[in-house]
Amino acid sequence: LFIFAVMRLTKPTLFTNIPVTCEERDLPGNLFNQLMKDDPSTVKGAETLMLGEMLTLPQNFGNIFLGETFSSYISVHNDSNQVVKDILVKADLQTSSQRLNLSASSAAVAELKPDCCIDDVIHHEVKEIGTHILVCAVSYTTQTGEKMYFRKFFKFQVLKPLDVKTKFYNAETDEVFLEAQIQNITTSPMFMEKVSLEPSMMYNVAELNIVDTAGESESTFGARTYLQPMDTRQYLYCLKPKQEFAEKAGVIKGVTVIGKLDIVWKTNLGERGRLQTSQLQRMAPGYGDVRLSLETIPDTVNLEEPFDITCKITNCSERTMDLVLEMCNTNSIHWCGVSGRQLGKLHPSSSLHLALTLLSSVQGLQSVSGLRLTDTFLKRTYEYDDIAQVCVVSSEIKQ
Amino acid sequence: SNSKDAKSTSGEDDSRDIVQQKTQEEILFHEETIDLGGDEFESEGNETVSEDSNNFVDKLNEQMMESVIISDSPNNSEDDTGELGCLQEIVDQLEAKDNQKTQTEADKEEFLSNESETEHEETPKDISEIGTDDQASLKEDSIQEAVKEEPKLENNIPVETKPNNVDESTPEDQVLSPSTTKPSSEAEPIPVCTIFSQANNASSQPQLFLPDGFEPQMVKSPSFSSIIETPVKYNPQVVQPSPSLSKFFGDTVNTNTLASDFFDSFTTSNFISVSNPNASSSVPEQMSSPSNGGDGSSSNPTFPVQNGRPEAGGPPSSLEISQSPKPFSQIQAVFAGSDDPFATALNMSELDRRNDAWIPSEETRNVLISVATQQYSTVFIDKENLTMPGLKFDNIQGDAVKDLMLRFLGEQAAVKRQVLNANSVEQSFVGLKQLISSKNWRAAVDLCGRLLTAHGQGYKKSGLPASHTTDSLQLWFVRLALLVKLDLFQNAEMEFEPFGNLDQPDLYYEYYPNVYPGRKGSMVPFSMRILHAELPQYLGNPQESLDRLHSMKIICAKILENLEQGLAEDGSMTNITQENRQASVQLWRSRLGRVMYSMANCLLMMKDYVLAVDAYHSVIKYYPQQEPQLLSGIGRIFLQIGDIKTAEKYFQDVEKVTHKLDGLQSQIMVLMNRAFLHLGQNNFAEAHRFFTEILRIDSSNAVANNNAAVCLLYLGKLKDSLRQLEGMVQQDPQHYLHESVLFNLTTMYELESSRSMQKKQALLEAVAIKEGDSFNTQCLKLG
Repeated sequence: LFIFAVMRLTKPTLFTNIPVTCEERDLPGNLFNQLMKDDPSTVKGAETLMLGEMLTLPQNFGNIFLGETFSSYISVHNDSNQVVKDILVKADLQTSSQRLNLSASSAAVAELKPDCCIDDVIHHEVKEIGTHILVCAVSYTTQTGEKMYFRKFFKFQVLKPLDVKTKFYNAETDEVFLEAQIQNITTSPMFMEKVSLEPSMMYNVAELNIVDTAGESESTFGARTYLQPMDTRQYLYCLKPKQEFAEKAGVIKGVTVIGKLDIVWKTNLGERGRLQTSQLQRMAPGYGDVRLSLETIPDTVNLEEPFDITCKITNCSERTMDLVLEMCNTNSIHWCGVSGRQLGKLHPSSSLHLALTLLSSVQGLQSVSGLRLTDTFLKRTYEYDDIAQVCVVSSEIKQ
Repeated sequence: SNSKDAKSTSGEDDSRDIVQQKTQEEILFHEETIDLGGDEFESEGNETVSEDSNNFVDKLNEQMMESVIISDSPNNSEDDTGELGCLQEIVDQLEAKDNQKTQTEADKEEFLSNESETEHEETPKDISEIGTDDQASLKEDSIQEAVKEEPKLENNIPVETKPNNVDESTPEDQVLSPSTTKPSSEAEPIPVCTIFSQANNASSQPQLFLPDGFEPQMVKSPSFSSIIETPVKYNPQVVQPSPSLSKFFGDTVNTNTLASDFFDSFTTSNFISVSNPNASSSVPEQMSSPSNGGDGSSSNPTFPVQNGRPEAGGPPSSLEISQSPKPFSQIQAVFAGSDDPFATALNMSELDRRNDAWIPSEETRNVLISVATQQYSTVFIDKENLTMPGLKFDNIQGDAVKDLMLRFLGEQAAVKRQVLNANSVEQSFVGLKQLISSKNWRAAVDLCGRLLTAHGQGYKKSGLPASHTTDSLQLWFVRLALLVKLDLFQNAEMEFEPFGNLDQPDLYYEYYPNVYPGRKGSMVPFSMRILHAELPQYLGNPQESLDRLHSMKIICAKILENLEQGLAEDGSMTNITQENRQASVQLWRSRLGRVMYSMANCLLMMKDYVLAVDAYHSVIKYYPQQEPQLLSGIGRIFLQIGDIKTAEKYFQDVEKVTHKLDGLQSQIMVLMNRAFLHLGQNNFAEAHRFFTEILRIDSSNAVANNNAAVCLLYLGKLKDSLRQLEGMVQQDPQHYLHESVLFNLTTMYELESSRSMQKKQALLEAVAIKEGDSFNTQCLKLG
């Protein structure tokens, strides 16, 4: 009685033709060129151009990927010669976890004459991977008053379009660099419209995928705005802890949430897809019980002239410490002041700033080393070498 | 639903070889449906279900993500199967259990009794079809494997996640990250990134990249978790495959292969080779042109040259020339005014030199020089340096339209189908042109074959010494060009093969000083070189095409350089008048442009869009009059990639360029581009408006008509869409029975009703009246 037909509406494709040309003096004369001119699918005035303007409907179901929109035409056609009443068409999508109603209208159609049809175009943004089943159901009443009902099932697989891998680099300055590799694992080119990192509340983010040259911002990927199948692109982001979180040493420790990547792409004729990664997490680097970091240091100093540095000492442990500072000279670095100085008690998560003076007796790039902190409660000594490097030059050059 | 049945049976024929797999998957299918329901069973017992099952879904989703990684990245699939062995065993046991469960459940279910076993069998086929895409032929294997594996992996998930699911007390927010990783990596401390639990558990996933420090990330739809609602409590039914599934989705495989033939020539080149070795002989006898008879045997041509015009003296062409094939008659007409025979000859050679010029390779040049200086006679030249072509198959005659008519409309209707064939026209260039312009290209190929046979280059003559003339090479060009037009690329390649790289000495006029005294250059038409260079790209070897095109480009550039330096095309010191030099520069510039065009097309086929766009830009330099079309074309390339913004930029450039010109054509172009832009923005209604706008200016515009109809379909107006297309086809069948239009029409018929078969047959009848034997019947989808 009814014919139920479903067609997936991917974007139409452009017809391409195979140009075969000849010259005036060749045997066919202008015959080949004329044939191409008469062909409605060629571009008039530029028949040799392969990519035409004629749209063709999708030829097969194709692939559907997570984040894309599944669109489908549903046509219910009355193939009988009698009028049918109270037709209700329902389209549901069954996934492994849920069942969604996709029908645009849920109102029943009062009657359907022979050779008429009920059309519906459904859209659904695919949010799950794996098997999906489109369930189409029709209920209607025949002329004899009989209530009828039937269903059809259309099954398809949703695949994953992208492969995302990440890598973190922890900088000394509390900054975190995130490298994200995004690979196109579909079979068609993909235009990356947006790849951005939405940071968690603790961080500010700077995208490092654009180069500013003479006021013009240019993508580091150049003119190639798309990803070929299996191509991978590497994005780089710099995350800085917000001031309020950077202050408290205890907060950014262990596993922290960094944020998530938001990816928007387009394929054939603007078919759109969008995905987000789950929250990216990283293990903050461990600093042991006591962290010593440099706050200030000059980059270039004069030979044999004292210079100042500022250190920050943070208690990262869970207990209070009583610290003693020792300064050991190396063959190039000489510390000024008293070694074995008491720094006093330091509570967990608190820090103190320390100004130190030193000089170098050797020219060139010198490593600042030789600081020792001893916790008198536990009799444990922490050594700090290679804290930073300074360039030492003779005083005439410096000026 | 008769047609449906016919469809599915024919589909089964095609896929008989996967029957085994089918049965295998049938089981999987059952088991999988339980999974759908089973999931619910798990949670049904609890009252707190709804929220927690959300999390469960999340987990499930992550797990499935993993399964896709495995199945979807082809290079890993082999490793995986090995590693997965143990998993599969567990799963198998599970399946067995579950299957029993379904059995009992299924018994309780009321199902439409007519959905019988055959339908079960069809579903697996559908899965694999769905898995395939338009480029499927390449990847089919891996995808099929994927399909096989996926359900199993999914099934495995409940096993892994059960502990979590049971643990109802887990607060929601916790579940999101840490607990997902629990089942896999409970004990070990989690390095840097813990999002993707599989990264840790997976010795079974070799591609999980710990070595390079990169962590795979789970991707999900942004709104995913928020959208999930309480799972609908539907009855745990075994989801039944339906026949119409295979009708609709099932067609895809059939159309897939056939459509790729002509719709998606970028990816595949399937075709049927039509060689018919049985139908040999008979042909030479039919050719009884007396003047041709002698030529075939004369391997040592010594013919008197009359009136200084070499071709006229050439024995094979004398007959045809008297029948005035077009190019020669035109040439004659041009110079008819001049009554000085000497001046005519001079002009003639000027034109010849310009057109035939080519720069041979060093090796070939040496042979040609020695021929000119008579150091040794042609007999001593190495056989492999000679071109010895011959027909590789001698009859591709046939009329697919008529065959289909016999099959669907009966003998009576088929008899009415009358097309020209090689016998029904004059056995000459005139007849050949008649066949070509009436679109009977198969017959034309056949006639070319006959004419070549008369030249001694017929069937089985390949590898035997042959002598070449301007005409024989033109005939080869026509034959090969038609084979390409018919998508018979492999046949074309076979027959092209003896010509090598079109640079053998016997393809130059200098090689025949007695037949063509004083004439220089290559006998190979430039268009044949283009054809030769383009051919490999249709056979899946675009790189070779690029190489050939590149060497052509070098020679064209060299010739132009020679001309600029005051030399002749081939670099010799010949005096050329300014006028002739100008004409030659123009000719060679346009030829260089043609080479660039082919390069751009080839790069487009290779999907190297950046280079293709560059190449099209350089084509504009050679063909400035095509600038608006080419810019629009580049815009469409960007649309295809999905880069709508850049496309828009190009379309704006087109509007700037066409702004100066007015006229219908540029107006249409602008409207067309705007329509495409709306299409790229998913606005089918606006796109339709612009296509309709074009029709208001030019009601016979086939592209706008067709595209407007396509837009209507996407707007849910199937009937209107059909009306538009049918109207267009009826209005001017001569023009609009184009395969793309017919393809759209038949696709919509299939969507519309069960009477699609009758409607397609009606189209066939229309085609039978208007189209020649070269019509590609696949677009009618009658198969």
